[in-house]
Amino acid sequence: MQNLDDLQKVLIIGSGPTEIGHETELDSATVQIITGFKKHGVRTLVIDNNPFSVALEEIQPTNMYVQAVTTANVRHIIERDQPDAILPTLGGLLGIRIAQELVENGDIGRFGVTILGMPAATLRQINNPAALNDTLKEIHEPVIEAQVVSTEDEALGLVESIGFPLIVKPVAPRLDTNRTICENVDDMLDALNQGFAQSRFDQCTLERSVVGYKEIEMVAIRDVADTKVMITGLENIDTVGIHSGDSIVVTPPQTLNDREYQDLRDATFRIATELGIVGVIHIHFALNPDNQHFYVTKIAPYFTRGVALAARTTGYPLALVTGALLIGQRLVDIKLPSRFVKQTAIMEPTIDHVSVRIPIWPFQEVPDADQHLDTVMKAVGSTVGVGRSVEEAMLKSVRSSQFSPRDVLPSVSNLTDGEMISQLIHPLANRILVLIEALRRGYTPDELSELTKIDVFYFVKLQHLLKIEKQIKGNPLDVETLKMGRYYGFGDGMIARIWQTDTATIRRLSAEAEIKPTYKMIEPTAGEFDEHASGYYSTFEYENESEPLGDRTALVLGRGGNQLGPNTAAEYFTTEMLKQLKRAGYHTILMNTNPNAIGIAPEFTDKQYVDPIQLGDVLNVINVEHPDIVIVPGNRHYLTRELGKLDLNLHVLPPDQESSKAQPKTATISVSLFVHEQHKIAVGVMDMIAPGMNQDIAQVTAFRMPAERAKADRLKLVEQAKEAVSEHQLTGMVQVLFAPKSKDSQQLTVVGIRPTRLTEMAFLSKVTGVNWVRMLTRQHIGTLDEKELAAIKIDLNSKRVALMNAVFPFQQLHVLNRPGTTDQEMGATIAFGSSEALTLSNLSDTEQLDKIINRTI
Amino acid sequence: MAKRYLILEDGSAYAGEGFGAGATTSGEVISNLNLLGYQETITDQIYHNQIIIFAQPAIGNVGINHDSYESILPTAKGMVVRDVTNISTNRLSRLSLDEFLQQHNIPGISGIDTRHLIRKLRKMDGPVKGSIVDVADAHAFDQLNATVLTNRQVDQVATPKPYPNPDTGKNVVVIDFGLKHGILRQLSERRCNVTVLPWTASAQDVLNLDPDGVLLSTGPGSPLDLGEGVLEMIRAVQAEIPLFAIGLGHELFALANGAKLEALPVEYHGSSHPIRRIITNDIIYATQGQGYAVSAKTIDRDRLITTYVDLINGTVQGLRHRDYPAFSVQFFADGAPGPHESRDLFDEFMEAMTARREG
Repeated sequence: MQNLDDLQKVLIIGSGPTEIGHETELDSATVQIITGFKKHGVRTLVIDNNPFSVALEEIQPTNMYVQAVTTANVRHIIERDQPDAILPTLGGLLGIRIAQELVENGDIGRFGVTILGMPAATLRQINNPAALNDTLKEIHEPVIEAQVVSTEDEALGLVESIGFPLIVKPVAPRLDTNRTICENVDDMLDALNQGFAQSRFDQCTLERSVVGYKEIEMVAIRDVADTKVMITGLENIDTVGIHSGDSIVVTPPQTLNDREYQDLRDATFRIATELGIVGVIHIHFALNPDNQHFYVTKIAPYFTRGVALAARTTGYPLALVTGALLIGQRLVDIKLPSRFVKQTAIMEPTIDHVSVRIPIWPFQEVPDADQHLDTVMKAVGSTVGVGRSVEEAMLKSVRSSQFSPRDVLPSVSNLTDGEMISQLIHPLANRILVLIEALRRGYTPDELSELTKIDVFYFVKLQHLLKIEKQIKGNPLDVETLKMGRYYGFGDGMIARIWQTDTATIRRLSAEAEIKPTYKMIEPTAGEFDEHASGYYSTFEYENESEPLGDRTALVLGRGGNQLGPNTAAEYFTTEMLKQLKRAGYHTILMNTNPNAIGIAPEFTDKQYVDPIQLGDVLNVINVEHPDIVIVPGNRHYLTRELGKLDLNLHVLPPDQESSKAQPKTATISVSLFVHEQHKIAVGVMDMIAPGMNQDIAQVTAFRMPAERAKADRLKLVEQAKEAVSEHQLTGMVQVLFAPKSKDSQQLTVVGIRPTRLTEMAFLSKVTGVNWVRMLTRQHIGTLDEKELAAIKIDLNSKRVALMNAVFPFQQLHVLNRPGTTDQEMGATIAFGSSEALTLSNLSDTEQLDKIINRTI
Repeated sequence: MAKRYLILEDGSAYAGEGFGAGATTSGEVISNLNLLGYQETITDQIYHNQIIIFAQPAIGNVGINHDSYESILPTAKGMVVRDVTNISTNRLSRLSLDEFLQQHNIPGISGIDTRHLIRKLRKMDGPVKGSIVDVADAHAFDQLNATVLTNRQVDQVATPKPYPNPDTGKNVVVIDFGLKHGILRQLSERRCNVTVLPWTASAQDVLNLDPDGVLLSTGPGSPLDLGEGVLEMIRAVQAEIPLFAIGLGHELFALANGAKLEALPVEYHGSSHPIRRIITNDIIYATQGQGYAVSAKTIDRDRLITTYVDLINGTVQGLRHRDYPAFSVQFFADGAPGPHESRDLFDEFMEAMTARREG
């Protein structure tokens, strides 16, 4: 199948559960691409086992393969369903690897399947750095000489010519992120030892280290006719040596001169052409700031967090356009929705704002992980701040990433000088706060730049912020100072704290002096055209561009950057809620700072505000939009309380887990009920599985439905659950928890009632085929239909069994693999099958769980 | 820093903070949408007597550097930016944007809602005059309204005397209308032995040097103000030797061959428009800076062929003569700032010179 015009059926290789390295951005792109394919009459099949996937909600069950994303499973689908093409670029590096294996074992040729996005030769090279380097050398792109070694002796023989520091990387690693900087022979031998084990070929590469160089990322797209468009560049504030996923990233690049930027653009285009990429390409460069020489350090011709950031901050419809490119359209021919000016697809984005992305690390939840930032990525999420100056964007992003309920920045003033210097050189997760503290203690920008290799420009900007902070301190309650503080991104909570007053006072002062935010559109032409994009950010200038959406509006506050815990599920929840609100005729407005959020795509919301989700900023949006409904996530207690004081139609969704009635120590079975007035619909009876030795409720991270019980038992539990719920007069999605009466007893008793957790709500929706998030939303907005409720039939004794198991980041954080807690969840996997296939002989055996969930079907 | 104002002829005033020189200046207000390259922009002589609004909000971040000059003596009338950083990051940490502007008596104003201005200019008809002033009072507006923008821009910025830029390769005569250094850099990279002549040079002056090729440079203002003499020179030279014209040079080349110009509703300065290379049908990006465009319907098809076209506003971006090895582009083929993919036009020029020698 060569002619893309005849394309009728495409299999998308999904990304699997959220892990360190990728989160919901892949799901978000998948949804948009499926929508695009549908418009062009292409049927999409998806394989994925992520229970929080929104993409899986968007397609017909017959096109959905809820299976582990493995080569064997993909092969079976190809054999059975005969797609015309497969699309690997939405599955991250895993997708590329699977596609390559299918090429290598001959399946692609045998079944006549086309690979979308790149030729087979490129797949191979992306998986093999040495081969890729050879290609790059042929087209004269500077690469760091990587030498492949299979033994320690070979490596020792090369040490002299390469010199320390050098980097050890496994060839075709099983994980995305393993490269180790070695300062001496001992380091190198350790790294080789690990690397050989991680390599699929028992090989490693050795290469010169470019630690301390600037790390610049370029995101571009290319079509079949070799037309290329540069979307944007991303500048890592931290230099090479800290993984780009752990680095603070600024876009557009601020400290490059035009020549440096254009040289990288040229190289990006040459590489895209040479590799025959169709769609998106994301390249990392190491740039020597002293002589403008650069090296290509990573090529990712697939969707990544960098691609998501580029799309979010330019307003360029990247996923939409890529979808069209993949099925053979040319950039000049792409027709975009009417909110875009004609030909936006083929204009190179130019932007008039600055965005700063700051990572979020999981060290609070996993304190025994090594917290130093290095070449192995540890962040689990990120937040973005957008502004009209570097100061404003930076401060907004810091306020969102160093999350504090009252919008006050944490202080690191208790560090000793020794600790501070050590952390400047060996950065930890509080990186940005330590840089600010060092300036506060009198280090000059030049000194800090020397010490950290971070461009002096950023220290000048941080120093400016300190100067403004000082002015705020020196002029309490002065409106001119307040105006300036807000102009540079200070939050109302921060200023209130400095002035030892409350947010209400700040807001009164601002209102009196008419210090109002002006919202600017995030659009890709820097004001050249009247775009009608839907993303906005606040600043304090002359012209406000955001007009209220009008009647029947719902403002939904997002959860901010991803963290460990139920956040991926929360992302699913928020998106499904937004879809339901839209369906109910609401104009939907989302406030979020997570650049990888799904709901922030214009497909799901009429309008998006990329601003800190803090009281002052939320009130500013409310003042513009006057929404009919405001929806706050359940984990935002202070915000909920403060908004509750105002005359707003306020709803808390997803529900607050702390509203539980009695939190038990343990539970082995649960019954979930949807309670609406007199209706109590039994949604499911689940086994609550805590892999490991004890049955602590916090360790219940796996679920099986229906529970392995006799039919009569299940019905009895349901009746008990209904009684318990009636007693407490609860409504919504409620989960009644059961546990044995005593250690030796088989008899179950009610031990607790809580709102159904987000993860389990997603699981229940996937298993029952009823979208409970939407039901809950409808309950809140009063559009639930009694008759419809009465008609819902759920088979509590289904023969088809479902299992869900949480995924933890322990392996990537290099900590002991162990039973995790619900606070440590990164994502989850789901599997369906017959009762026999999914029988668990030993509930505490995590390996058995994994094996069953990831089995070949 | 001192509070200053940008005032426009429609009576609006915008308060900001002054940087650079404290001078009060007036000029035509235009906007530049490029992502980077403020130094190249401010030193490009096409901005003679203009006040430049920068879309990119953070300006001055890398100071002033030795390899980013497009001319040594900038003659723009001002910079309007959202945020300026006073920093020098060149090898000797010597020159910041602020100091550079002071040295050249160019005022800057920061803290301006530049996005608003760009959106507003788009809707205003024709050139808009503005001033950077200390006080936005009636007197300042009177002064602004009384200002007559000169039409002698080329005279002001082009070299009055010939000078050489020696090398060992092809002999190229560059006619200077407000020459952008990027052009000399491209010729240097190709080892051209360059002689720069004043724009008033006659065909005889050019031919006397026996060049392999002639390049008509970029420059400020309207080509209609330059008179018939230069058009005669072009007609005489193109018949004899390979000719390559850029920017203002391209507009003159078109006029010399019978085409007419039209003024754009809003000047366009940026590099985000796709430009189609008609012969290969591929698409490139290049820095554009133009207030005029060659009117497509006035092109005499017996003499000129359209070679490049802007896909966004449909403007003619390149021409080639049917009978002579003479061609031109509206956009800045040297980049600086902006994309590099049109630099192969200089190779084309080299080939034309080689072909002529061999032929």
